[in-house]
Amino acid sequence: MGESLVGQPKISVDLGIGFYEPTLSGFDDNQSVQFPTKGFFNRNMMINWGIYYEFFNNARIGYNSFTSYDIGKNILLLNSEAIFRRSLIYRMFPIETYFRWRPKIELNFTLAPIWGRGRIEMDTTPGDKTEDWNFFINSFGGNPDPVEDMGATDVMISDWIGYSSMLGFRYYISSRMAVDLKGGFMNNSYKNDKWRIQRQPVTGPTMKIDKLPIFSLKFVYGIR
Amino acid sequence: MRYIFILLVFINFSLGQDPNGQDLDPCSDPLIKLAETKGIKAIPLKDMVRFQRLMKACQRAGGTEQIKQLHRKDWDRDYKKARTMASWTSTHAMCVFVSFIYFFAGKALATVPS
Repeated sequence: MGESLVGQPKISVDLGIGFYEPTLSGFDDNQSVQFPTKGFFNRNMMINWGIYYEFFNNARIGYNSFTSYDIGKNILLLNSEAIFRRSLIYRMFPIETYFRWRPKIELNFTLAPIWGRGRIEMDTTPGDKTEDWNFFINSFGGNPDPVEDMGATDVMISDWIGYSSMLGFRYYISSRMAVDLKGGFMNNSYKNDKWRIQRQPVTGPTMKIDKLPIFSLKFVYGIR
Repeated sequence: MRYIFILLVFINFSLGQDPNGQDLDPCSDPLIKLAETKGIKAIPLKDMVRFQRLMKACQRAGGTEQIKQLHRKDWDRDYKKARTMASWTSTHAMCVFVSFIYFFAGKALATVPS
């Protein structure tokens, strides 16, 4: 319990929601597979959580994750009606600087590299999974029938990098608790031919997730 | 029946009070003193519930002004520490601000070349 505990929370956790507007044409304009209808919850809203550490005066470093989910039942494939789950995770490693404009109001400035990950899972009929996955992947274009055999894990994954910049406004409810509103943009270098399944490269859905405005609203709690 | 008995015993122990502590002034508790000298965030998370109870007890015992001062000093302490940017942090903030303006100005003003 030394001088280091005086002032802002050194370690804080936060939980909230994020908003953005990507164009997921690989899903929405797909002619072969009927994906879940796009809506606010599966397109524009993200779950947002993070943890920050104040490593310098007026500066925090941390981890912040924005995740967009989509779930659909009875997606009609070649042989089966599959359960489909899609997540886009924007994992940010922000450096945030801030100052208190008023005793209860803070303005903050965030720069963050992004390690993004797209993940598509499907529960298909075991005996037909290779045909079903090929049918599914063919619907995005690229080389036909890229999957030769499937293992136990039915998931296709893509990673990309990007960066984000945000300005934020934080209102302190108490010295430990605050509400934080941020707005800014993120740029992701996503390529739809960089997906992989069972270590085999495949073509995934076309998505426009570069140059996107992004907003977040979260509740912050200072642990110490 | 056995589980209800165990539950009752557990509740009995968990709500038990220390008779030695009842006569102490809650406003002089070491946790209150710690919050006054080092700030509320110096209170460990595990003691937060006890700290909240102590503050209420202190207010009931006539220490309303002391608790108000405790909160006021905490706000002042945080504000003084964070109201001006230190070292390189202002440069970082300026970079973020410029990139923000550049992006949104581009969104608003840029046109697609024909």
